[in-house]
Amino acid sequence: MSAVGRSLRRMKAVFIARNLEYLRDRASFGWNLVFPVLIVFALAVVFSGPPRALFTITTIASDNLPELVEFPGVETIETDRSKALDRLSRQQTDLVIEAVDGSVNYWVNGNSASGAILELLLTYTETRPLKRGETDGDAIRYVDWVVPGILGMNMMYSALWGVGYVVVRYRQSGYLRRLKATPLTKFEFLSAQVLSRLLVTLTASTIVFVGTNLILDYKMVGSIWLLFLIALMGGLAMITLGLAIACRTESKEFADGLLNAVTFPMLLLSGVWFSLDGSPEWVQMFAQVLPLTHVLEAARAVMLDNAGFTDIAIHLTVLVGFCFVGMGLSIKLFKW
Amino acid sequence: MSEVILSVAGLEKSYDDVTAVDGLDFEIEKGECFGLLGPNGAGKSTTLAMLEGMEEPTAGSVRYYGAPLPSDYQTRVGIQFQATALQDFLTPFDNLKLFSSFYDDPIPMDQLIEQFRLKDFLHRDSRRLSGGQRQRLLLALALVHNPEIVFLDEPTTGLDPRSRRDLWDVVSDLKADGRTLILTTHYMEEAEVLCDELVILSHGKTLLQGTPEQLITDAGVSDLDTLFLSLTGETLVKTQEVIE
Repeated sequence: MSAVGRSLRRMKAVFIARNLEYLRDRASFGWNLVFPVLIVFALAVVFSGPPRALFTITTIASDNLPELVEFPGVETIETDRSKALDRLSRQQTDLVIEAVDGSVNYWVNGNSASGAILELLLTYTETRPLKRGETDGDAIRYVDWVVPGILGMNMMYSALWGVGYVVVRYRQSGYLRRLKATPLTKFEFLSAQVLSRLLVTLTASTIVFVGTNLILDYKMVGSIWLLFLIALMGGLAMITLGLAIACRTESKEFADGLLNAVTFPMLLLSGVWFSLDGSPEWVQMFAQVLPLTHVLEAARAVMLDNAGFTDIAIHLTVLVGFCFVGMGLSIKLFKW
Repeated sequence: MSEVILSVAGLEKSYDDVTAVDGLDFEIEKGECFGLLGPNGAGKSTTLAMLEGMEEPTAGSVRYYGAPLPSDYQTRVGIQFQATALQDFLTPFDNLKLFSSFYDDPIPMDQLIEQFRLKDFLHRDSRRLSGGQRQRLLLALALVHNPEIVFLDEPTTGLDPRSRRDLWDVVSDLKADGRTLILTTHYMEEAEVLCDELVILSHGKTLLQGTPEQLITDAGVSDLDTLFLSLTGETLVKTQEVIE
Protein backbone atom coordinates (compact mmCIF):
# COMPACT_ATOMS: atom_id res chain seq x y z
CA MET A 1 0.00 0.00 0.00
CA SER A 2 1.28 3.48 -0.86
CA ALA A 3 2.01 6.15 1.75
CA VAL A 4 -1.08 8.07 0.63
CA GLY A 5 -3.19 4.92 0.90
CA ARG A 6 -1.92 4.28 4.43
CA SER A 7 -2.58 7.88 5.36
CA LEU A 8 -6.15 7.71 4.03
CA ARG A 9 -6.73 4.44 5.88
CA ARG A 10 -5.68 6.02 9.19
CA MET A 11 -7.77 9.15 8.55
CA LYS A 12 -10.79 7.01 7.73
CA ALA A 13 -10.37 5.04 10.97
CA VAL A 14 -10.26 8.20 13.10
CA PHE A 15 -13.15 9.70 11.11
CA ILE A 16 -15.33 6.64 11.75
CA ALA A 17 -14.38 6.48 15.42
CA ARG A 18 -15.27 10.14 15.95
CA ASN A 19 -18.59 9.70 14.15
CA LEU A 20 -19.42 6.67 16.30
CA GLU A 21 -18.61 8.65 19.42
CA TYR A 22 -20.90 11.47 18.30
CA LEU A 23 -23.77 9.27 17.16
CA ARG A 24 -23.75 7.25 20.38
CA ASP A 25 -23.77 10.41 22.48
CA ARG A 26 -27.52 10.70 22.08
CA ALA A 27 -27.86 13.75 24.30
CA SER A 28 -25.47 15.88 22.21
CA PHE A 29 -26.78 14.47 18.96
CA GLY A 30 -30.38 15.19 19.87
CA TRP A 31 -29.65 18.64 21.20
CA ASN A 32 -27.87 19.66 18.00
CA LEU A 33 -31.07 18.94 16.09
CA VAL A 34 -33.69 19.95 18.62
CA PHE A 35 -32.23 23.27 19.79
CA PRO A 36 -32.30 25.18 16.47
CA VAL A 37 -35.73 23.79 15.63
CA LEU A 38 -37.06 25.02 18.96
CA ILE A 39 -35.61 28.48 18.38
CA VAL A 40 -37.00 28.76 14.85
CA PHE A 41 -40.49 27.79 16.05
CA ALA A 42 -40.30 30.04 19.09
CA LEU A 43 -39.37 33.03 16.94
CA ALA A 44 -41.99 32.16 14.36
CA VAL A 45 -44.63 32.27 17.11
CA VAL A 46 -43.29 35.38 18.83
CA PHE A 47 -43.06 37.36 15.58
CA SER A 48 -46.08 35.91 13.87
CA GLY A 49 -48.27 39.04 14.26
CA PRO A 50 -48.37 42.06 11.96
CA PRO A 51 -45.28 44.30 11.83
CA ARG A 52 -44.97 47.01 14.46
CA ALA A 53 -46.80 50.28 13.61
CA LEU A 54 -43.57 52.22 13.26
CA PHE A 55 -42.23 53.90 10.14
CA THR A 56 -38.68 53.18 9.21
CA ILE A 57 -36.71 55.46 6.94
CA THR A 58 -33.30 54.52 5.61
CA THR A 59 -31.07 57.48 4.83
CA ILE A 60 -28.15 57.47 2.45
CA ALA A 61 -26.65 60.91 3.19
CA SER A 62 -26.77 62.25 6.72
CA ASP A 63 -26.60 66.03 6.09
CA ASN A 64 -29.63 68.25 5.36
CA LEU A 65 -32.11 65.45 5.74
CA PRO A 66 -35.82 66.26 5.36
CA GLU A 67 -37.80 67.23 8.45
CA LEU A 68 -39.75 64.01 8.07
CA VAL A 69 -36.99 61.96 9.70
CA GLU A 70 -37.50 63.92 12.94
CA PHE A 71 -41.21 63.07 13.15
CA PRO A 72 -42.34 61.12 16.21
CA GLY A 73 -42.66 57.40 15.52
CA VAL A 74 -40.15 57.47 12.72
CA GLU A 75 -37.02 55.35 13.09
CA THR A 76 -34.05 56.07 10.84
CA ILE A 77 -31.18 53.89 9.77
CA GLU A 78 -28.19 55.10 7.78
CA THR A 79 -26.46 52.89 5.25
CA ASP A 80 -25.23 52.86 1.65
CA ARG A 81 -27.54 53.04 -1.34
CA SER A 82 -27.23 49.39 -2.36
CA LYS A 83 -28.09 48.06 1.10
CA ALA A 84 -30.83 50.64 1.53
CA LEU A 85 -32.57 49.61 -1.68
CA ASP A 86 -32.20 45.93 -0.75
CA ARG A 87 -33.93 46.69 2.52
CA LEU A 88 -36.67 48.59 0.70
CA SER A 89 -37.35 45.76 -1.72
CA ARG A 90 -37.77 43.41 1.27
CA GLN A 91 -39.92 46.04 3.02
CA GLN A 92 -37.51 46.09 5.94
CA THR A 93 -37.70 49.87 5.55
CA ASP A 94 -40.59 52.02 4.34
CA LEU A 95 -38.74 54.81 2.57
CA VAL A 96 -35.19 55.53 1.40
CA ILE A 97 -34.01 59.14 1.36
CA GLU A 98 -30.89 60.75 -0.05
CA ALA A 99 -30.25 64.50 0.21
CA VAL A 100 -28.00 65.77 -2.61
CA ASP A 101 -27.18 69.24 -4.00
CA GLY A 102 -30.28 71.09 -2.84
CA SER A 103 -32.69 68.32 -3.78
CA VAL A 104 -33.98 65.13 -2.22
CA ASN A 105 -34.02 61.72 -3.87
CA TYR A 106 -36.37 59.16 -2.41
CA TRP A 107 -37.47 55.61 -3.17
CA VAL A 108 -40.59 53.78 -2.15
CA ASN A 109 -41.70 50.20 -2.54
CA GLY A 110 -44.82 50.13 -4.70
CA ASN A 111 -46.22 47.26 -2.63
CA SER A 112 -45.87 49.04 0.71
CA ALA A 113 -48.78 50.99 2.25
CA SER A 114 -46.47 52.49 4.89
CA GLY A 115 -44.23 53.72 2.10
CA ALA A 116 -47.17 55.44 0.41
CA ILE A 117 -48.07 57.28 3.64
CA LEU A 118 -44.50 58.41 4.18
CA GLU A 119 -44.27 59.56 0.57
CA LEU A 120 -47.38 61.70 1.08
CA LEU A 121 -45.93 63.21 4.27
CA LEU A 122 -42.65 63.91 2.51
CA THR A 123 -44.26 65.76 -0.37
CA TYR A 124 -46.20 67.96 2.08
CA THR A 125 -43.28 68.78 4.36
CA GLU A 126 -40.27 69.02 2.06
CA THR A 127 -39.64 72.34 0.24
CA ARG A 128 -36.69 71.17 -1.88
CA PRO A 129 -37.25 69.52 -5.23
CA LEU A 130 -38.03 65.81 -4.93
CA LYS A 131 -36.95 63.03 -7.25
CA ARG A 132 -38.86 59.77 -6.95
CA GLY A 133 -37.62 56.22 -7.43
CA GLU A 134 -39.52 52.99 -6.93
CA THR A 135 -38.70 49.39 -6.22
CA ASP A 136 -40.96 46.46 -5.70
CA GLY A 137 -40.78 43.27 -3.69
CA ASP A 138 -42.89 41.59 -1.05
CA ALA A 139 -42.33 42.07 2.62
CA ILE A 140 -40.33 39.35 4.29
CA ARG A 141 -41.37 37.96 7.62
CA TYR A 142 -38.93 38.06 10.49
CA VAL A 143 -38.73 34.29 10.36
CA ASP A 144 -37.61 34.48 6.71
CA TRP A 145 -34.83 36.78 7.75
CA VAL A 146 -33.80 35.04 10.96
CA VAL A 147 -33.72 31.41 9.75
CA PRO A 148 -30.29 31.77 8.06
CA GLY A 149 -29.07 33.38 11.29
CA ILE A 150 -30.23 30.48 13.42
CA LEU A 151 -28.83 27.88 11.05
CA GLY A 152 -25.53 29.77 11.00
CA MET A 153 -25.49 30.11 14.78
CA ASN A 154 -26.12 26.39 15.19
CA MET A 155 -23.33 25.66 12.74
CA MET A 156 -21.01 27.97 14.65
CA TYR A 157 -21.64 26.28 17.99
CA SER A 158 -21.50 22.81 16.52
CA ALA A 159 -18.27 23.52 14.66
CA LEU A 160 -16.38 25.43 17.32
CA TRP A 161 -17.38 23.46 20.40
CA GLY A 162 -17.69 20.12 18.66
CA VAL A 163 -14.06 20.28 17.57
CA GLY A 164 -12.36 22.75 19.90
CA TYR A 165 -13.75 21.43 23.14
CA VAL A 166 -13.42 17.78 22.12
CA VAL A 167 -9.75 18.11 21.15
CA VAL A 168 -8.95 19.78 24.47
CA ARG A 169 -10.84 16.99 26.28
CA TYR A 170 -8.81 14.40 24.37
CA ARG A 171 -5.61 16.20 25.33
CA GLN A 172 -6.51 16.59 28.97
CA SER A 173 -7.47 12.95 29.30
CA GLY A 174 -4.23 11.72 27.71
CA TYR A 175 -5.93 10.28 24.62
CA LEU A 176 -3.92 12.47 22.25
CA ARG A 177 -0.71 11.27 23.90
CA ARG A 178 -1.87 7.72 23.25
CA LEU A 179 -2.43 8.57 19.58
CA LYS A 180 0.98 10.22 19.37
CA ALA A 181 2.50 6.81 20.09
CA THR A 182 1.03 5.49 16.82
CA PRO A 183 1.96 6.27 13.21
CA LEU A 184 -1.02 8.65 12.99
CA THR A 185 0.22 12.10 11.91
CA LYS A 186 -1.06 15.49 13.07
CA PHE A 187 -2.44 16.19 9.61
CA GLU A 188 -4.31 12.88 9.51
CA PHE A 189 -5.78 13.38 12.97
CA LEU A 190 -6.81 16.98 12.34
CA SER A 191 -8.23 16.23 8.89
CA ALA A 192 -10.32 13.38 10.28
CA GLN A 193 -11.68 15.68 13.00
CA VAL A 194 -12.53 18.35 10.42
CA LEU A 195 -14.27 15.93 8.06
CA SER A 196 -16.19 14.20 10.83
CA ARG A 197 -17.50 17.46 12.27
CA LEU A 198 -18.25 18.81 8.81
CA LEU A 199 -20.42 15.78 8.11
CA VAL A 200 -22.25 16.27 11.41
CA THR A 201 -22.71 20.01 10.90
CA LEU A 202 -23.97 19.74 7.34
CA THR A 203 -26.30 16.86 8.16
CA ALA A 204 -27.79 18.65 11.17
CA SER A 205 -28.18 21.90 9.22
CA THR A 206 -29.86 20.11 6.32
CA ILE A 207 -32.31 18.30 8.60
CA VAL A 208 -33.20 21.50 10.45
CA PHE A 209 -33.48 23.48 7.20
CA VAL A 210 -35.77 20.99 5.49
CA GLY A 211 -37.79 20.17 8.60
CA THR A 212 -38.57 23.75 9.57
CA ASN A 213 -39.22 24.82 5.99
CA LEU A 214 -41.85 22.12 5.56
CA ILE A 215 -43.88 23.73 8.31
CA LEU A 216 -42.98 27.42 8.18
CA ASP A 217 -42.47 27.68 4.42
CA TYR A 218 -39.93 30.47 4.72
CA LYS A 219 -38.51 32.32 1.77
CA MET A 220 -35.92 30.50 -0.33
CA VAL A 221 -35.68 31.94 -3.83
CA GLY A 222 -32.05 31.15 -4.70
CA SER A 223 -30.02 28.07 -5.59
CA ILE A 224 -30.08 25.32 -2.99
CA TRP A 225 -26.66 24.16 -4.21
CA LEU A 226 -25.20 27.60 -3.68
CA LEU A 227 -26.63 27.60 -0.18
CA PHE A 228 -25.03 24.19 0.39
CA LEU A 229 -21.70 25.56 -0.83
CA ILE A 230 -21.98 28.43 1.67
CA ALA A 231 -22.76 25.97 4.46
CA LEU A 232 -19.78 23.82 3.40
CA MET A 233 -17.32 26.70 3.35
CA GLY A 234 -18.77 28.29 6.48
CA GLY A 235 -18.64 24.99 8.33
CA LEU A 236 -15.03 24.42 7.29
CA ALA A 237 -14.02 27.96 8.27
CA MET A 238 -15.48 27.63 11.74
CA ILE A 239 -14.26 24.08 12.33
CA THR A 240 -10.69 25.09 11.48
CA LEU A 241 -11.09 28.11 13.75
CA GLY A 242 -12.11 25.72 16.53
CA LEU A 243 -9.06 23.57 15.84
CA ALA A 244 -6.78 26.61 15.92
CA ILE A 245 -8.17 27.53 19.33
CA ALA A 246 -7.69 23.98 20.62
CA CYS A 247 -4.32 23.25 19.05
CA ARG A 248 -2.29 23.91 22.22
CA THR A 249 -4.87 24.54 24.93
CA GLU A 250 -4.61 22.10 27.82
CA SER A 251 -7.38 23.26 30.12
CA LYS A 252 -11.07 22.77 29.39
CA GLU A 253 -11.87 25.87 31.44
CA PHE A 254 -9.47 27.98 29.36
CA ALA A 255 -10.87 26.48 26.18
CA ASP A 256 -14.35 27.43 27.43
CA GLY A 257 -13.20 31.01 27.83
CA LEU A 258 -11.53 31.16 24.42
CA LEU A 259 -14.50 29.62 22.64
CA ASN A 260 -16.88 32.04 24.34
CA ALA A 261 -14.61 34.93 23.41
CA VAL A 262 -14.92 33.91 19.76
CA THR A 263 -18.58 32.89 19.65
CA PHE A 264 -20.03 35.78 21.64
CA PRO A 265 -18.98 38.59 19.23
CA MET A 266 -20.25 36.51 16.32
CA LEU A 267 -23.55 35.95 18.07
CA LEU A 268 -23.99 39.69 18.58
CA LEU A 269 -22.28 41.28 15.61
CA SER A 270 -22.67 38.90 12.68
CA GLY A 271 -26.34 39.65 12.15
CA VAL A 272 -27.83 36.48 13.64
CA TRP A 273 -30.83 38.20 15.24
CA PHE A 274 -30.95 41.68 13.73
CA SER A 275 -29.47 43.65 10.87
CA LEU A 276 -26.38 45.73 11.52
CA ASP A 277 -27.22 48.17 8.73
CA GLY A 278 -27.92 50.98 11.17
CA SER A 279 -25.00 50.30 13.49
CA PRO A 280 -21.81 52.43 13.67
CA GLU A 281 -19.35 51.96 10.85
CA TRP A 282 -16.64 50.50 13.09
CA VAL A 283 -19.06 47.81 14.25
CA GLN A 284 -19.83 46.91 10.66
CA MET A 285 -16.12 46.85 9.83
CA PHE A 286 -15.36 44.64 12.81
CA ALA A 287 -18.16 42.29 11.78
CA GLN A 288 -16.37 41.70 8.49
CA VAL A 289 -13.52 39.89 10.27
CA LEU A 290 -15.99 37.35 11.69
CA PRO A 291 -16.63 34.28 9.53
CA LEU A 292 -20.27 34.03 10.56
CA THR A 293 -20.93 37.49 9.07
CA HIS A 294 -19.88 36.23 5.64
CA VAL A 295 -21.88 33.03 6.01
CA LEU A 296 -25.04 34.97 6.89
CA GLU A 297 -24.66 37.74 4.32
CA ALA A 298 -24.10 35.16 1.59
CA ALA A 299 -26.90 32.88 2.79
CA ARG A 300 -29.44 35.74 3.02
CA ALA A 301 -28.41 37.02 -0.40
CA VAL A 302 -29.12 33.57 -1.87
CA MET A 303 -32.26 32.81 0.13
CA LEU A 304 -33.95 36.21 -0.02
CA ASP A 305 -32.53 37.94 -3.12
CA ASN A 306 -31.73 35.03 -5.45
CA ALA A 307 -28.05 36.02 -5.53
CA GLY A 308 -25.75 34.09 -7.87
CA PHE A 309 -22.24 32.75 -7.43
CA THR A 310 -20.53 35.97 -8.50
CA ASP A 311 -22.69 38.00 -6.10
CA ILE A 312 -21.40 36.04 -3.13
CA ALA A 313 -17.91 35.23 -4.43
CA ILE A 314 -16.28 37.73 -2.10
CA HIS A 315 -17.87 36.05 0.94
CA LEU A 316 -16.79 32.60 -0.26
CA THR A 317 -13.27 33.88 -0.85
CA VAL A 318 -13.06 35.24 2.68
CA LEU A 319 -14.33 31.92 4.06
CA VAL A 320 -11.72 30.00 2.06
CA GLY A 321 -9.10 32.35 3.54
CA PHE A 322 -10.35 31.56 7.05
CA CYS A 323 -10.04 27.82 6.25
CA PHE A 324 -6.44 28.09 5.11
CA VAL A 325 -5.40 30.27 8.04
CA GLY A 326 -7.21 28.07 10.59
CA MET A 327 -5.92 24.77 9.24
CA GLY A 328 -2.40 26.14 8.72
CA LEU A 329 -2.21 27.43 12.28
CA SER A 330 -3.64 24.19 13.64
CA ILE A 331 -1.10 21.99 11.88
CA LYS A 332 1.78 24.32 12.71
CA LEU A 333 0.96 24.75 16.39
CA PHE A 334 -0.82 21.48 17.24
CA LYS A 335 0.45 19.69 20.32
CA TRP A 336 -0.62 16.12 21.06
CA MET B 1 25.56 -13.51 25.06
CA SER B 2 22.34 -11.43 24.96
CA GLU B 3 22.08 -8.48 22.65
CA VAL B 4 21.63 -4.97 24.09
CA ILE B 5 18.42 -3.51 22.63
CA LEU B 6 18.39 -0.16 24.44
CA SER B 7 21.29 1.68 26.03
CA VAL B 8 21.04 4.81 28.12
CA ALA B 9 23.98 7.14 28.76
CA GLY B 10 24.04 10.28 30.88
CA LEU B 11 20.29 10.67 30.56
CA GLU B 12 18.88 13.88 32.02
CA LYS B 13 15.53 15.64 31.90
CA SER B 14 14.75 19.01 33.45
CA TYR B 15 11.55 21.05 33.53
CA ASP B 16 12.30 24.71 34.28
CA ASP B 17 14.31 24.48 37.50
CA VAL B 18 13.24 20.92 38.40
CA THR B 19 15.53 18.02 37.48
CA ALA B 20 13.31 14.97 37.06
CA VAL B 21 16.03 12.63 35.75
CA ASP B 22 19.62 13.23 36.69
CA GLY B 23 22.29 11.31 34.79
CA LEU B 24 21.11 7.72 34.30
CA ASP B 25 23.28 5.02 32.69
CA PHE B 26 22.05 1.48 32.02
CA GLU B 27 21.53 -1.10 29.33
CA ILE B 28 18.51 -3.27 28.57
CA GLU B 29 18.98 -6.67 26.97
CA LYS B 30 16.71 -8.06 24.31
CA GLY B 31 14.00 -10.32 25.70
CA GLU B 32 14.36 -9.33 29.35
CA CYS B 33 11.85 -7.71 31.64
CA PHE B 34 13.47 -4.56 32.92
CA GLY B 35 11.99 -2.72 35.88
CA LEU B 36 12.29 0.90 36.94
CA LEU B 37 11.52 0.98 40.63
CA GLY B 38 10.97 3.88 42.95
CA PRO B 39 8.42 5.89 44.89
CA ASN B 40 6.23 8.58 43.36
CA GLY B 41 8.37 11.41 42.01
CA ALA B 42 11.49 9.25 41.61
CA GLY B 43 11.61 9.92 37.84
CA LYS B 44 10.31 6.56 36.63
CA SER B 45 7.66 7.83 34.24
CA THR B 46 9.91 10.56 32.84
CA THR B 47 12.67 8.02 32.19
CA LEU B 48 10.16 5.72 30.57
CA ALA B 49 8.85 8.54 28.35
CA MET B 50 12.38 9.15 27.05
CA LEU B 51 12.90 5.42 26.41
CA GLU B 52 9.58 5.36 24.54
CA GLY B 53 10.68 8.27 22.36
CA MET B 54 7.78 10.39 23.66
CA GLU B 55 10.05 12.94 25.38
CA GLU B 56 13.37 14.41 24.27
CA PRO B 57 16.16 14.21 26.85
CA THR B 58 17.64 17.46 28.10
CA ALA B 59 21.04 15.75 27.97
CA GLY B 60 22.40 12.26 27.33
CA SER B 61 21.07 9.70 24.91
CA VAL B 62 18.88 6.65 24.37
CA ARG B 63 20.21 4.30 21.69
CA TYR B 64 18.46 1.43 19.94
CA TYR B 65 20.83 -1.43 19.04
CA GLY B 66 23.65 1.08 19.53
CA ALA B 67 22.24 3.67 17.12
CA PRO B 68 20.03 6.75 17.56
CA LEU B 69 16.30 6.01 17.70
CA PRO B 70 15.10 5.36 14.12
CA SER B 71 12.32 7.42 12.54
CA ASP B 72 9.96 4.43 12.63
CA TYR B 73 10.74 3.71 16.30
CA GLN B 74 7.04 4.17 17.22
CA THR B 75 6.13 1.16 15.09
CA ARG B 76 8.66 -1.01 16.96
CA VAL B 77 7.42 -0.21 20.44
CA GLY B 78 4.09 -0.68 22.19
CA ILE B 79 3.18 1.63 25.03
CA GLN B 80 0.72 1.19 27.83
CA PHE B 81 0.46 4.62 29.40
CA GLN B 82 -0.16 5.06 33.09
CA ALA B 83 -3.34 7.08 32.63
CA THR B 84 -4.88 6.90 29.20
CA ALA B 85 -8.41 7.83 28.39
CA LEU B 86 -10.11 6.30 25.40
CA GLN B 87 -12.73 7.91 23.24
CA ASP B 88 -16.07 8.06 24.99
CA PHE B 89 -18.81 5.74 23.76
CA LEU B 90 -16.40 3.40 21.94
CA THR B 91 -16.26 -0.29 22.84
CA PRO B 92 -13.12 -2.44 23.15
CA PHE B 93 -14.01 -3.82 19.70
CA ASP B 94 -14.16 -0.29 18.22
CA ASN B 95 -10.86 0.60 19.86
CA LEU B 96 -9.11 -2.53 18.61
CA LYS B 97 -10.40 -1.82 15.12
CA LEU B 98 -9.28 1.81 15.30
CA PHE B 99 -5.77 1.07 16.53
CA SER B 100 -5.35 -1.88 14.15
CA SER B 101 -6.06 0.52 11.28
CA PHE B 102 -2.98 2.56 12.15
CA TYR B 103 -0.61 -0.27 11.18
CA ASP B 104 0.17 -2.21 8.00
CA ASP B 105 0.30 -5.66 9.51
CA PRO B 106 -1.59 -5.77 12.81
CA ILE B 107 -2.13 -8.89 14.88
CA PRO B 108 -5.56 -10.39 13.96
CA MET B 109 -8.22 -9.02 16.29
CA ASP B 110 -9.49 -12.49 17.20
CA GLN B 111 -6.03 -13.38 18.48
CA LEU B 112 -5.84 -10.25 20.65
CA ILE B 113 -9.36 -10.81 21.98
CA GLU B 114 -8.39 -14.35 22.96
CA GLN B 115 -4.95 -13.48 24.35
CA PHE B 116 -6.18 -10.61 26.53
CA ARG B 117 -9.52 -12.24 27.40
CA LEU B 118 -11.64 -9.37 26.07
CA LYS B 119 -14.56 -11.41 24.78
CA ASP B 120 -16.88 -10.93 27.76
CA PHE B 121 -16.85 -7.14 27.49
CA LEU B 122 -15.96 -6.70 23.83
CA HIS B 123 -19.03 -4.60 23.02
CA ARG B 124 -19.33 -2.70 26.27
CA ASP B 125 -18.80 1.08 26.41
CA SER B 126 -15.16 1.56 27.46
CA ARG B 127 -16.27 3.92 30.22
CA ARG B 128 -18.08 1.02 31.91
CA LEU B 129 -15.06 -1.30 32.12
CA SER B 130 -13.54 -2.30 35.44
CA GLY B 131 -9.95 -1.34 36.18
CA GLY B 132 -8.62 -4.77 35.27
CA GLN B 133 -10.66 -5.01 32.08
CA ARG B 134 -9.49 -1.57 31.07
CA GLN B 135 -5.83 -2.41 31.65
CA ARG B 136 -6.17 -5.60 29.60
CA LEU B 137 -7.71 -3.58 26.78
CA LEU B 138 -4.95 -0.95 26.97
CA LEU B 139 -2.33 -3.70 26.89
CA ALA B 140 -4.01 -5.25 23.85
CA LEU B 141 -3.96 -1.84 22.14
CA ALA B 142 -0.26 -1.51 22.94
CA LEU B 143 0.36 -4.92 21.36
CA VAL B 144 -1.85 -4.50 18.32
CA HIS B 145 1.09 -4.04 15.93
CA ASN B 146 3.20 -6.83 17.41
CA PRO B 147 5.95 -4.55 18.78
CA GLU B 148 9.45 -5.68 19.71
CA ILE B 149 9.53 -3.67 22.95
CA VAL B 150 6.58 -3.14 25.29
CA PHE B 151 6.50 -0.32 27.83
CA LEU B 152 4.23 -0.62 30.84
CA ASP B 153 3.90 2.40 33.12
CA GLU B 154 2.63 1.23 36.51
CA PRO B 155 0.32 -1.29 34.87
CA THR B 156 -1.33 -2.52 38.06
CA THR B 157 -1.77 0.72 39.97
CA GLY B 158 -5.30 0.98 41.30
CA LEU B 159 -6.22 -2.63 40.49
CA ASP B 160 -7.73 -5.04 42.96
CA PRO B 161 -5.55 -8.06 43.93
CA ARG B 162 -7.34 -10.44 41.57
CA SER B 163 -7.03 -8.09 38.60
CA ARG B 164 -3.39 -7.44 39.46
CA ARG B 165 -2.56 -11.14 39.40
CA ASP B 166 -4.52 -11.56 36.17
CA LEU B 167 -2.39 -8.87 34.59
CA TRP B 168 0.81 -10.47 35.90
CA ASP B 169 -0.22 -13.64 34.04
CA VAL B 170 -0.70 -11.65 30.85
CA VAL B 171 2.66 -9.93 31.25
CA SER B 172 4.35 -13.26 31.99
CA ASP B 173 2.92 -14.62 28.73
CA LEU B 174 4.40 -11.66 26.87
CA LYS B 175 7.76 -12.40 28.47
CA ALA B 176 7.49 -16.01 27.40
CA ASP B 177 6.94 -14.76 23.82
CA GLY B 178 10.45 -13.30 23.96
CA ARG B 179 9.43 -9.64 23.91
CA THR B 180 11.47 -7.03 25.72
CA LEU B 181 9.37 -5.56 28.53
CA ILE B 182 10.17 -2.36 30.35
CA LEU B 183 7.95 -1.48 33.25
CA THR B 184 7.74 0.96 36.09
CA THR B 185 6.22 0.04 39.40
CA HIS B 186 6.30 0.90 43.05
CA TYR B 187 5.05 -2.54 44.07
CA MET B 188 7.85 -4.74 45.39
CA GLU B 189 6.10 -8.02 44.87
CA GLU B 190 5.39 -7.10 41.27
CA ALA B 191 9.01 -6.25 40.61
CA GLU B 192 10.21 -9.49 42.21
CA VAL B 193 7.72 -11.63 40.26
CA LEU B 194 8.08 -10.03 36.83
CA CYS B 195 11.48 -8.36 36.46
CA ASP B 196 14.79 -9.91 35.40
CA GLU B 197 16.71 -6.70 36.02
CA LEU B 198 15.92 -3.69 38.17
CA VAL B 199 17.06 -0.12 38.51
CA ILE B 200 16.03 1.52 41.76
CA LEU B 201 15.56 5.25 41.36
CA SER B 202 15.33 8.05 43.87
CA HIS B 203 15.14 11.75 43.02
CA GLY B 204 16.05 10.99 39.40
CA LYS B 205 19.26 9.11 40.20
CA THR B 206 20.17 5.42 40.20
CA LEU B 207 20.50 4.01 43.70
CA LEU B 208 21.10 0.37 42.76
CA GLN B 209 20.93 -1.90 39.75
CA GLY B 210 20.83 -5.70 39.47
CA THR B 211 18.53 -8.70 39.53
CA PRO B 212 15.97 -8.70 42.36
CA GLU B 213 17.66 -11.70 44.03
CA GLN B 214 21.12 -10.19 43.70
CA LEU B 215 20.04 -6.87 45.22
CA ILE B 216 18.38 -8.54 48.19
CA THR B 217 21.27 -10.97 48.76
CA ASP B 218 23.99 -8.36 48.47
CA ALA B 219 22.24 -6.06 50.91
CA GLY B 220 21.48 -8.89 53.36
CA VAL B 221 17.83 -7.81 53.75
CA SER B 222 14.59 -9.74 53.52
CA ASP B 223 12.96 -7.81 50.68
CA LEU B 224 13.34 -4.87 48.32
CA ASP B 225 11.22 -2.54 50.40
CA THR B 226 13.51 -3.01 53.40
CA LEU B 227 16.47 -2.44 51.11
CA PHE B 228 14.99 0.80 49.78
CA LEU B 229 14.15 1.99 53.28
CA SER B 230 17.71 1.33 54.40
CA LEU B 231 19.08 3.30 51.46
CA THR B 232 16.84 6.35 51.52
CA GLY B 233 14.82 6.43 54.70
CA GLU B 234 11.72 6.41 52.46
CA THR B 235 9.34 3.51 52.12
CA LEU B 236 7.81 2.02 49.01
CA VAL B 237 4.27 0.71 48.94
CA LYS B 238 4.21 -3.04 49.42
CA THR B 239 1.81 -4.94 47.32
CA GLN B 240 0.73 -6.95 50.31
CA GLU B 241 -0.21 -3.80 52.18
CA VAL B 242 -2.36 -2.65 49.31
CA ILE B 243 -3.98 -6.06 49.05
CA GLU B 244 -4.81 -6.08 52.73
